[in-house]
Formats: sequence, C-alpha cells, structure tokens
Amino acid sequence: MSNTDYDPRAHRGALNPTEDLNHRGDHAPGDEPAEDSGHWVRNANLGLGFSIILTVAAFYLAGSHLIYAPAIPVALIVLAIAQMGVHLVFFLHVTTGPDNTNNVLALAFGVLVVFLIVAGSIWIMDHLSHNMMPMDQMMQMQQ
Amino acid sequence: MFGKLDLSAIPLSQPIPLITSAVVILLALGVLVLITVKGWWPYLWRDWITSVDHKRIGVMYCLLGVLMLIRGFADAIMMRTQQAVAINAPGYLPPEHYNQIFTAHGTIMILFGAMPLVLGFMNFLVPLQLGVRDVAFPTFNSVGFWLTASGALLVNVSLFIGEFARTGWLPYPPLSETAYTPGVGVDYYLWAVQISGVGTLITGINIVTTVLKMRCRGMGYLRMPVFCWTALASSLLIVAVFPVLTATLAMLTLDRYLGFHYFTNTAGGNPMMFVNLVWAWGHPEVYILVLPAFGIFSEIFPTFSGKPLFGYRSMVAATLFICVVSLMVWLHHFFTMGAGAAVNTFFGISSSIIAVGTGVKIYNWIFTMYGGRVRFETPMLWSMGFIFTFIIGGLTGVLLAVPPADFLTHNSMFLVAHFHNVIVGGVVFAIFAGLEFWFPKVFGFRLHEGWGKTAFWLAFIGFWVTFAPLYILGLQGMTRRLQHINFDVWAPWLYVSVAGVGILVLGVIAQVTQLVVSIRNREKLRDVTGDPWDGRSLEWATPSPPPFFNFAVMPNVEGEEAYWGIKLRAVETQQLSPEPAYEPIEMPLNSPVGIYTAFSPRSSVSR
Repeated sequence: MSNTDYDPRAHRGALNPTEDLNHRGDHAPGDEPAEDSGHWVRNANLGLGFSIILTVAAFYLAGSHLIYAPAIPVALIVLAIAQMGVHLVFFLHVTTGPDNTNNVLALAFGVLVVFLIVAGSIWIMDHLSHNMMPMDQMMQMQQ
Repeated sequence: MFGKLDLSAIPLSQPIPLITSAVVILLALGVLVLITVKGWWPYLWRDWITSVDHKRIGVMYCLLGVLMLIRGFADAIMMRTQQAVAINAPGYLPPEHYNQIFTAHGTIMILFGAMPLVLGFMNFLVPLQLGVRDVAFPTFNSVGFWLTASGALLVNVSLFIGEFARTGWLPYPPLSETAYTPGVGVDYYLWAVQISGVGTLITGINIVTTVLKMRCRGMGYLRMPVFCWTALASSLLIVAVFPVLTATLAMLTLDRYLGFHYFTNTAGGNPMMFVNLVWAWGHPEVYILVLPAFGIFSEIFPTFSGKPLFGYRSMVAATLFICVVSLMVWLHHFFTMGAGAAVNTFFGISSSIIAVGTGVKIYNWIFTMYGGRVRFETPMLWSMGFIFTFIIGGLTGVLLAVPPADFLTHNSMFLVAHFHNVIVGGVVFAIFAGLEFWFPKVFGFRLHEGWGKTAFWLAFIGFWVTFAPLYILGLQGMTRRLQHINFDVWAPWLYVSVAGVGILVLGVIAQVTQLVVSIRNREKLRDVTGDPWDGRSLEWATPSPPPFFNFAVMPNVEGEEAYWGIKLRAVETQQLSPEPAYEPIEMPLNSPVGIYTAFSPRSSVSR
C-alpha cells in the first residue's frame, strides 16, 4: 500500500500515532515485524553460503585458466554484482514486497547518485587527461 | 599538551585581528559573567543546551546562523573597502590577511551562516507542518547541532590563534597542499568543515526519516506543505553529497598529514580530481540551500495572497526535478579547466535545463499572487524582492551556463555578482522573509512592521547598489579576489559598490533595531491567536509559541492546506471542532549527549 492510498478514516480509532504508523504497512530499516528466529537464521546462513561461494569463485577465477583470459575481468565484475545482490537480499532484507517501497527507492536513489558521480568523474577526468599537454612539453614551454 | 602551539600563533603584530579578537573575547566573557551573575545557567542547561526539542534546536541553529552572517558580513565590509581604497595603493589589508578574509567570508557565509539557518528552519517547521511531536531521532538531532556549532567555533578561533586558510572557500590543491600552504589555516578549514559536515549529515538523515515516516494521520505525500517537500529534497541531497565532501577533504587531509599523493602535482597526484569531486558536492550544496528557500516562499505567497498555491503538483515535480538534475551540472564550475567540447556541451545544456524547474516555480508564485488579495506585509516584500532579484540572477546564470560565454566571465567579478545575486536574492531574502513570517510562531510576538519594511528596502536597494557594479566590473575584465587594483577605469564602480555596502550596513542596523524595538513592545505585539497571518498549514494551528509537545491531540488531515481546511469547515458549520479526547503523551527526555559529543575534552582528544 503506498502512502497516497492511505485512508485516514480506516484508522480513525487509533489515537496513538506509533500504533497508527505500524498499520501503514511501510517500515523503516530496523523496525520490521518480528520474523520467527529460525527463518532469520536460515536466511542469514544462506546469504553467508552464497557470499562465500562468490568470493572463493572470484579468487579462483583470477588465478586460473578455466575461462578465456580477457574475459576474466568481466567475470569478476559479474561476480561482484552478484555479491552485492546477495548482501542486499539476505543481509539488508531489501525485497520487492510492498512493505519495502522506501528501502527500494532509497537504494535506487543511492545507485543513481553513485552512478552519476562515478561515471561523470571518469568521463570528465578522461577528457581532461586527454587534453592535457604532456608534462615534458609543458616543462619546455616554461623555459 | 599544546604540541607545536606557542605564543607566536597569536597575531600580536597585526592590529586588526588582534583588536577584533580582544573585543570578541571581552564580549563573550561579558555574556558568560552576566549569565553566571543572573543565575541563568540551570535554565540554559535544562531548556536549551540539553534540549532535544526540535523547536529549541531549530532556534539555536538560527541564532548560530545569524551570528555567523554578521561575522561574514564584517569580512565583506573589509573586502569591499579594501578594494575601494587599494586603487594604485596598498590599502589597509596585507595580502596574506586579505586572502584569509575572502576565504573566511565564503566558508562562513555558506557553511556556517546559510546552512545553519536553513537547517534551523527545517528543524523548526517540518514536524509542526507534518503534525507530529518531534523529529525521528531527537537526541541525534542535538548531536548534529552541537557538532555544527563546534565547527563554527573552530573557524572563529582561527582569528585569534593561528590563521585561517588563504585558499578560497574551496581549498583547491596544489595551493592547499603542505608544499604551498604549510601553515595551520587549511587545517582549521579541514577540521571545521569535516566536523560541521557530520552535523549536517545527521540533520539530513533526520529530516528524511521524519518526512518519510512520521507524518500525522491523513498527511499523504501529496498533502504535505511544499516546504516539507523542499526540506525532503534538500535533505536527500545532503545525504547524497555530504559524504562526497567528507571523502574529498579526507583525501586532502591525508595528503597534508601523511604525505599521500591524491591531489599533489607530483607522484601521480591530480589536483583536477579535487576540483571535480569538490564541485560534485558544491553544486548540489547550493540547491540544498535554495530548495528550502523556495519552500519558504511557497508558504508565504499563498498566505499573503489569500489563495492556495498555484500548481501544487507542478511545484512538487519541479522540486524533485531540481533535486535530481542538480546532481548532473557540477562541471559548469570549471568549464575552463580543459574538458573537451562533448563534456562542456553536456554540462552546459544540463545547467540550462535546471533553470526550467526554477522557472516553473517562479511562474507558480506569480500566478499565486494573480487574482489574490495581496497583503504587502514585510515577509511578502522580501518574497517579491526575491522574485525580481532571483530572475536577474537566474538569467546571468543561464548566460554563465553557456561554455563560450563562461570562458570570458570565468573567475571574474561577473561571476561574483551572479552567485551573490542568486544566493543573497534567493537564500538570504528567504531567510529574512521566513524569520519575519515565523517569528511570532517561535517567540509569541510579532516583529515591528515599520522597521521590518525599512530593513527590507535598505537591504534590497543596498544589494543592487553593491552588486550591479560588480557585473559591470566583470564585463570590464576585473577578476575576483584582487587585493589591490592598478587600473583606474574600475575605480568609479568600486566606489559605487562600497556605497552599496554602506546601505547594507544601515539595513543590518534596521534589522537589529527592529528586534530591539519588538522585544521592548512585545506586550503590544503579542500574538494571542497563534495564527497572526491567517496561515494555511498546521504550524498555525498551535498556540504561539507552541508547547513542547506541539499538538495536544494528533491532527487528522483531510486535504491539502490542512489548517486552512479546518478553518473553512469551522466557518461553514459555524462551530469549532468538538473537544478532543486527551491522552497521555510520551516525549523524549533531555540529553547532554550532543554537547558532550561536540565539546568534551575527552571526545576531542580521541578525535
């Protein structure tokens, strides 16, 4: 349920604001409704397993001849992205569920900002270094 | 204990900083003695210093901001007078002192003047407008404020002990590296900005969480006052880019302290990377300041036009559009650094496009006034002065966004005139409009009308007399930050500009007089209704000043302009809403954590 469809009349009886907040079906990180602990432990262990597999695979691939050598960087990038996914899903509990809209939006905004600043900086710095006069020429000009 | 610090750090040979700091120290001691003699410490400690009430913290932020605006204005007076007397002459400020002054002026005005004021407004207003009792993390909020205050203190200590940076308000390497600036000035800058940056980040997190999580019943996103939207957008930007500033300055610190080579000329360092990263923070920073300013105007125009805001949804859309696009324009601060045509074109176009969002807002405000019953009270005068000033500033901004034109005006007085035009005309006018508008809500009595209008006209005229000549000087080729001038053609315009500063000084005196006169006549100016301006959002539903719990009963919002709706219903049905059912309220306790975090000797040693 998004906040715009929130119907105040449905909760008119609830005078306590915090109680009311819990009815909204949208939660801040950390105040998720209590899951049963067995589920949580299984989830965390799965995540741990996946991340170990991905880490070991990355180290193994980097030193092996298992795949075509120029493809190794691509493989490492894929593994790194998968690693991020595992962390988001199993440890940070970012899901596609309707109770998770804020977290997903926050993640999307963060990714956008990081993308803009990193990609922009790389593009700009690449241009600058391309246009910079080589250092030895600059030294000659000063003489 | 003092390390390398000894008496030589105190500027005994320089009369200006020495006398100023003596006066400041005496004043501060006087205030401390007065507080002790009158026995005000317990009150201050209980009701202000350890308070976690968002309203008290907001007021303290504004107080800090106003003090720092005066400090920064003193620097400005010195710069303008120096340039007016130093024509074919050395003037009265030696270069090393003059360089500290323009650095301190920029740093203080942006980071310790405008930022605390904007954060103060957000702190005070957002919970009240959303109909809740406090921000999401009240104690954390107090920590943020005191960290900002301790950063501001550090900048001002540098006046008396040591020196401040001489690098400009963004300490560009290689000048700011130890090889070229071995003194403590840049270190003062780095620590002060880092500490206050953490404080700002804390407030940003707080406001984002408050807006997303703490609205009262019925306060859907599209029913929030526009100020809350702009506070949200501005806080999102804080959370997005202040870490970039922190990381950039941390890298410069590593360069200076541990011999790293991020931004050095040698060993593979690249000073241009600093310029790139610092503006990736710096440009969103100006929108962090100006978006809440737009929010303030969006509250004032409807109130004083007696009409709902024109185009509420387009206002929200424009705010979010600016929030995102402001992250894509930072290169326009260094078009001339040598990027190619593709890069300059992209950033030139994105910089022009961001003006579209602002244009939408300007038209919305104008259409809000159109057909309304406009009351020309002081907040409204500031707002209308803003529209005029900001449009001119925006137009020169679009001119500067065109790379070929920027090559002519880069680092000239034209640029100086432009950014003062938008920041003074946008942010500072908004701050004064907002102080005038919400003062009765904060303190329970109005400000004196006549002195307020006098202050506005003096500031408005003074602003234009000061800065219009700088546009001309810039087009005549004068660059910024000149300690002396040896070109007579510029002289007349520099004299006009310094006359403008004189008018601005009168404006400041009028503001102070207004405050004194209003405090003296506070019984006559008392706001007994809690709604002195016929307001439209929920903060006017509380008494003035609001009780610490804000609302005895949580409001239930049934449309845009929550309080206006309640008033309309009361008029229609000819009766007030029924007596609500009161319940016990839970409020956070006071906490000294904030002030200890910022000032206790132990935490500063571990820092």
